Amino acid sequence: MKQIEMIAWFKSDTYPIPLRFRIEGEDKSKIVVKIDKVLFQEEEKLGGNRMVIYRCEGIIQGLQKLFELKYEISTCKWFLFKL
Amino acid sequence: MNDRVIFHIDVNSAYLSWEAVYRLQHGSSIDLREIPSIVGGDQEKRHGIVLAKSIPAKKYGIITGESVHSAREKCPQLVSVPPNYPRYVLASDAMIRILEKYSPHIQRYSIDEAFLDFSGRGENFMDAAFRLKEEVKESLGFSVNIGIGPNKLLAKMASDFTKPDKIHTLFHHEIKDKMHSLPVRDLFMVGSRTEKKLQSRGIFTIGDLANTKRDYIHSWLKKPGLLIWEYANGIEDSPVKNGLIPLKSVGNSTTMPFDVETREEAHKVLLAISEMIGLRLRDLDSCGGVISVSIKNHMFFSYSHQRKLITPTNCTNTIYRVSRELFDEMWKGEALRHFSINLSNLVSNDFFQLSILESYNKKEELLDRTIDNIRLKYGQNSVIRSCFLYSGIDPIIGGVVAEEAYPMMSSIL
Repeated sequence: MKQIEMIAWFKSDTYPIPLRFRIEGEDKSKIVVKIDKVLFQEEEKLGGNRMVIYRCEGIIQGLQKLFELKYEISTCKWFLFKL
Repeated sequence: MNDRVIFHIDVNSAYLSWEAVYRLQHGSSIDLREIPSIVGGDQEKRHGIVLAKSIPAKKYGIITGESVHSAREKCPQLVSVPPNYPRYVLASDAMIRILEKYSPHIQRYSIDEAFLDFSGRGENFMDAAFRLKEEVKESLGFSVNIGIGPNKLLAKMASDFTKPDKIHTLFHHEIKDKMHSLPVRDLFMVGSRTEKKLQSRGIFTIGDLANTKRDYIHSWLKKPGLLIWEYANGIEDSPVKNGLIPLKSVGNSTTMPFDVETREEAHKVLLAISEMIGLRLRDLDSCGGVISVSIKNHMFFSYSHQRKLITPTNCTNTIYRVSRELFDEMWKGEALRHFSINLSNLVSNDFFQLSILESYNKKEELLDRTIDNIRLKYGQNSVIRSCFLYSGIDPIIGGVVAEEAYPMMSSIL
């Protein structure tokens, strides 16, 4: 799981919606990924720690991929959870 | 009171489970619960003891409380992770919120144990316990044991039978089958010393104790004996108390990262602990009437000394002065690794009897209050005593947040 930089839309009535994130590759190059679609979102509170998990679709390096993002409510941090 | 149904909920290897869940949630591929692992103190700072262990670690004979070093000798591939108390408080609070859906009568017994009164709630208690256990596992990610009995004692005994993730009952008619064959040491309130005493007269199991004549136990072990005899027979009727039980004593201790060899340094450590105890007592609006100081030397031998005060106090300077006297009277001059101060016989500080034999200084009280307020507002280290500058000793010592908030009250049900 990797921490990522995120641009998100904080709507008034729902969880924040991820729009676009930036991740550092192994060669230190930065990759920007646009989130085309959020397939579903769900809150989990494992160990009492609230996190929102998103299954998303987007294009990474020319390929359409499915991935999961996590937003940790207590720290306001975004993570790329599964790719 | 005869048809009470009490649940005792006990988190399976609590600190370790919570640590494992947190790590899984943050993308770790390893579940600490499935490998030999422990939550252990910092060896560098010599706080290296095992706080919690996984079930695979238990198979190597690792026990809670032993040193991390000796645990590693038993299992070289052991994984040790440091504790994180705020994380555990979060998990514990989340569990209590789930329990509140099942009954309004909940007693938080420690950070990882709670009693729940399920009497007269209509639903079958086995179904409810199963739902509760599954809900905690499903939504919080860790497993619990639930013991069900007609009182808190039997519920607590039941939750300890076999682990993890199980529900056990222990009602009066089951005591003979389920509890009497257990070694007497497993009974609540029977420690190693009592165990030896009982064994010396041929009492080895809980059943042996239960079948001993009440008068015999009373004349031999007096009131505490009567209590464990009643426990062995499943007799206990304290209510499930909402909220925390009033404290009986306030104490703090520290294991130093280095051995303390001079009187001057030892006094500073005592002062730093006094600062913490004074702060906590004043926060509780209490005063302590008995001060006890205990120290452990580099050979791990510990001894203590205590004194009853003429006037109960919560003044940092007085606590320090008496602790210093007690220390000077008992210290044999060897290197020391562990210090603790404890204040008991707590009374409310609303009003108290002054004594002509002791000086009372209103100004000290005001000073303490002012310093407390500054520390509350600007942080614990905003004002410190100058003697701690460059001393290598923290100006206020003692306690982890979690353990202070939910003390282990093992002797009061």
